[in-house]
Amino acid sequence: MAFLEVKNLTKNFSGLVANNNVSFEIEKGEIVGLIGPNGAGKTTLFNCIVGYYRPNSGKIIFNGKDITGFKAYQTSREGIGRTFQIMKVTTGLTVLENVMVGAFSWTDKRDEARSYALDILEFLGLSDIKQYHINELPIARQRKVGLARTLATKPKLLMLDEVASGLNPTETEEMVGLLKILNAEKGMTIFLIEHIMEMVMSVSKKVLVLDSGIKIAEGPPEEIVKKPEVIKAYLGEKYAKGH
Amino acid sequence: MEKLKDAFDFSDFSKAERICFYIFTVFLFVFPWLGVGSFVKTVMIQFMLFSLFGMGWNTIGGYGGQVELGKAQYVGIGAYTVALMMVWWKVPFWISMPVGVLIALGYSFIIGYPLFRLKGHYFAIATICTSLVLKDIFDNWNLVGAAKGIELPIHEHPDFLYMQFKSDTYYYYFIMALFYIAIFYMNWFRKSKLGFQLRMIKDDEDAAESLGIDIRWCKIKAYSIASAFVAVGGGFMTVYNLYIDPASVMELSLSIKIALMAMLGGAASMWGPIIGAAFLVPLDRFLGSWLGGHKGLSGIDFMIYAMLIMVVSAYQPRGIWGIIEQFRKKGK
Repeated sequence: MAFLEVKNLTKNFSGLVANNNVSFEIEKGEIVGLIGPNGAGKTTLFNCIVGYYRPNSGKIIFNGKDITGFKAYQTSREGIGRTFQIMKVTTGLTVLENVMVGAFSWTDKRDEARSYALDILEFLGLSDIKQYHINELPIARQRKVGLARTLATKPKLLMLDEVASGLNPTETEEMVGLLKILNAEKGMTIFLIEHIMEMVMSVSKKVLVLDSGIKIAEGPPEEIVKKPEVIKAYLGEKYAKGH
Repeated sequence: MEKLKDAFDFSDFSKAERICFYIFTVFLFVFPWLGVGSFVKTVMIQFMLFSLFGMGWNTIGGYGGQVELGKAQYVGIGAYTVALMMVWWKVPFWISMPVGVLIALGYSFIIGYPLFRLKGHYFAIATICTSLVLKDIFDNWNLVGAAKGIELPIHEHPDFLYMQFKSDTYYYYFIMALFYIAIFYMNWFRKSKLGFQLRMIKDDEDAAESLGIDIRWCKIKAYSIASAFVAVGGGFMTVYNLYIDPASVMELSLSIKIALMAMLGGAASMWGPIIGAAFLVPLDRFLGSWLGGHKGLSGIDFMIYAMLIMVVSAYQPRGIWGIIEQFRKKGK
């Protein structure tokens, strides 16, 4: 039985179809990439799974439980952690407090939340900025804080929305390393939306391609990039014919 | 046990803050014996009462970041419960006050559940409306005295059970006790799980939800805590004034004053509501007695409040406390 199973998921916004009959499965311990051109419906698919949107039809089964129509806080409690493409730049909570809020999802004790948050910050190399506010940080660090507070909820499935966009190559490489450690050592299943092809290629075992809301391909990354329909979706008709 | 420790633990404040707090406590203790007139004592009681209101408002309005402008209805519920139970059944204050708090809690859950489907301005307007509706009902409800209000029977001898004293000093120490309970409660609250979650909601609702926080339920809880706070204050108003009517305990201006004090002092900070009350209560009394004497000027105090709201939100949304913190950061 698949860890996450999406069956015939359709989502439209008053006529505009964002996801059309999308089905796929993710096994436990996998790293799966989701790619596609702008406006392909990647973030919508994420939002449907996590519960920000209610799909018009279709089923989502996570860990043997039907979570279709669950609210975002409920899917979080089921063990799905997600990060956001755009971090809201806030001045309220410090970095440490942000991560503590994540830990408060499974504990009521402040000391416990605090020590767990400190561990996570240490693991991500953010200990030196724990007293800063998010608005005082460069974008790479902001992303990592977003990842840290999601990790603090102890997710079983980690869904990352463009976690590497806006990062320079060194930072991207660092992020790839991190994800690999999370996957190998903490046994976390990872599902990520990514624009940077190198990152998808180096990190994921399986890739899904979405175009205009339809899943057009699925398979190992090195096969995917050779498929004509994928090339067409990314580069246009002309290049596809040349192949 | 741990909660109690949190409530009395002020160690994460700076030394200067703690020293100010201790000096202030001593000052409050000896204040009635400094030979001050009864007017000043009344202002002081009002100050502590409004600090209590402000601290309650601060849970949902400050930490939770929801613009809540309907707290007067819960002041009214607290005040009317105490008054009616005393007049109808001669129930002592110490029973009727908790009952008032319970009714306020129940009512806030009923009101809060639909209310928190709304966000931003719509929420603010809806809170005003619910409060106005309740005031209108009480204004026309003969059973509870309608617009005439209720007068409490005055006891011949001072009576602790019914909280009737000849001297203001007793009331002073009673509200001071409530004031400190509120401070200790808020000191615990700001460090509690709910406190953290509310601040996260204020920062970024979507992210908060992704971290497993049931936003609506959190807001309702904070709203109910705030309501319980002001209901206690409402009960005190009844026994202190011995007379209540909808215009004194349910007026919209009361809701606005509560929110304004906390915002002026600094929403989402421990001392903000107290600082705000320390500014606005004397100003309010002064304007009231000064402008009240001149015909046609009685509305001007509201214009001054409106201006204050605009200045605070434009210049420093975090209020006086925000300005103090800014200076501190520069000093470092």
